[in-house]
Amino acid sequence: MEPAGNLPDSMVLKILRSEGAPDEAIRHLYRTQYGIVKNHINQNNGSDEDAQDIFQETILSFIDMVKKDKFRGESSIGTILFAIARNTWLNELKKRGRAKLRDEKFEKAKEGTEMDVSHFIVNRELKAELMQVVDSLGETCKKILLAFYYENLAMKDILQHLQYENEQVVRNKKYKCLKQLEQMIAGQTQLAKNLQSILYE
Amino acid sequence: MPGKPNWPKTFNPYYMNEHFTNTDQLIQYLDGELEGEALTNLQQKIETDKNLAAELENLRLAKIAVKTYGLKNTVRNIHTEMMKELQTAAPAPVIGMRRILQYSFRVAAMLVLVAGAAIVYQYYAATPAQLYNDNFHSYNLRESRGNNNYSKLEDLYKAGNYTAVMDQFKQLAAPTTEDYFLEGIAALNAGNASAAIQSFLALQQLNKVANTHLLEEDATYYLALAYLKNNEPASALPIFEKIHADEGHPYHRNVSSWFLRKLRRLAK
Repeated sequence: MEPAGNLPDSMVLKILRSEGAPDEAIRHLYRTQYGIVKNHINQNNGSDEDAQDIFQETILSFIDMVKKDKFRGESSIGTILFAIARNTWLNELKKRGRAKLRDEKFEKAKEGTEMDVSHFIVNRELKAELMQVVDSLGETCKKILLAFYYENLAMKDILQHLQYENEQVVRNKKYKCLKQLEQMIAGQTQLAKNLQSILYE
Repeated sequence: MPGKPNWPKTFNPYYMNEHFTNTDQLIQYLDGELEGEALTNLQQKIETDKNLAAELENLRLAKIAVKTYGLKNTVRNIHTEMMKELQTAAPAPVIGMRRILQYSFRVAAMLVLVAGAAIVYQYYAATPAQLYNDNFHSYNLRESRGNNNYSKLEDLYKAGNYTAVMDQFKQLAAPTTEDYFLEGIAALNAGNASAAIQSFLALQQLNKVANTHLLEEDATYYLALAYLKNNEPASALPIFEKIHADEGHPYHRNVSSWFLRKLRRLAK
């Protein structure tokens, strides 16, 4: 499962570790790995839609691993992505109650022989819950917080982008938005606890 | 706080101000904007104040939540883009391949049927004349292996004047093996199969008497063709079978198994 595209693994990792946009690396992963994952899922009771969902989850988990420096290229990206996708799909099958005995047997058999990536596979429901919390923020709040924390834009750039009067207004708005989100998370004790357990691993 | 009125927290301006300051500092701390004495003071406060530590923790979670949300949106957008690209670049779907294969097999089956029908037709439609036409090629004198003393016959043959060759031959008092051969070939070219048969048989007789083998292999092949031309397949068959069986015969390649099959049917 060597990458077939023109980006070597080292370059993909470099892009994903950086604070810059990961778009090109993600596109490369789709071009080189999506077909393999899709085939696996199709061959194991999954539809094309399942394959699409699982691959998105796989990409997110993989980027998370890279950013936490839990993957440094010990194996090829193809190998680790396949392992993540396979585990994610197995979890999904179990959840749907369709995991067959052979899957369980196989899972036991692979223990110790295959890379264990289960720690890095964030529970899909928990992630969906987290997304819902952020989604319930107002559009302006989302824009400001995303611009600052995800796109890493400077205040003056956010000011131009969102057309506020001055930087202080943006700063105050950002303060309020983050505080609002913090309170929403604090209001859901169990979610906060679960998030802490998975995000700080 | 001594001297301050005992207001409830939500209306307490001192508490609100202090809380605001703390949250603002926590966010600055989280964003890496706090430094110097302010940083040290806050770190000390966090160590001693559990509520402050919990607030920082939730702010950190909020920040991570935003980053995760942003990344998820990015992946989702790229996913949509890539699905279009991959669908465009994807090879023809399996169903298409199946159809192509099915179509190919049908075409192949049709070709086999057509070829089979053509073979059957060739087998049953073959006639001695057709076999003769398919196999007769005028003899090229440059292939002559004898001497060239009979230049007049040769010249006439080269000129394609076959009847003149036959007329000239009749003038010869003692024709040689080569004369018989040229006369036989000329007769075949002129469409006179029986005359050709006579010449080739005479050539063979002459070789037998003289205990020579001049032009014998050529004469044998053309004799068989002459029998075909003369509608005598049964006479031609043993000669062609002998040539086919002899891999060293110069005309071996001209006599295929398929040719013999057709000839055997005609010879019955």
